[in-house]
Amino acid sequence: MTKDDRLNTAAAGPGEERTRRRLRTQWLYLGLAGAIGGVIGLSTSLFDLGDGNLFAGNWAALKLPPAVALVLAVMLLAGFLVLPLYGFRMIDDYKREHNLVGFTGGCLAVLSGFPVWAVLHAGGFVPAPQAFGVYALGFVGMFGSFLFARWRL
Amino acid sequence: MKNRLKVLRAERDWSQAELAGRLDVSRQAVNAIETGKHDPSLPLAFRIARLFDMKIEEIFDDEG
Repeated sequence: MTKDDRLNTAAAGPGEERTRRRLRTQWLYLGLAGAIGGVIGLSTSLFDLGDGNLFAGNWAALKLPPAVALVLAVMLLAGFLVLPLYGFRMIDDYKREHNLVGFTGGCLAVLSGFPVWAVLHAGGFVPAPQAFGVYALGFVGMFGSFLFARWRL
Repeated sequence: MKNRLKVLRAERDWSQAELAGRLDVSRQAVNAIETGKHDPSLPLAFRIARLFDMKIEEIFDDEG
């Protein structure tokens, strides 16, 4: 056992218990986020009256009963707004820094990505910009920036 | 920024998880501070100083 290993396993105390509690909360949070995502995905596939898919290019073909659409809208707000904001308040400075880099990356990806896509389309290089593509730009930009911050900064 | 966190932790025979819990931060944050990859915020620096009953400048060295 190296000195570092010993330092990382020594002296379990009240701090260890708080750290375990923090980890449990984190897993609960991830589980809840996954469950919300699963329910949204399952509901859209079960109740879709058209040929659409929420998270694909043909999202415009998605047709849902109004009540299901309202419930899903609330769940999407919970999953993409309330839960991340709650999580952002729970994490420490170190992880908040990674999240801020991620959010910045996502924002810049959309701010720069859409006009670049539009002018490339105008020049005949690519298809016209579409909503899901712009959304995906933001999402991929955010995730990529977060991973960069997590492992490189 | 250089700091003596790892030494102070070792003197008390605390694991990173133990120190993280006492500071109410993640174990990754403690590791990042110890390895100099992350500088703590001022409130966290004060919490660290209070925990070890020292002054901030006795733990952190901004000239390192």
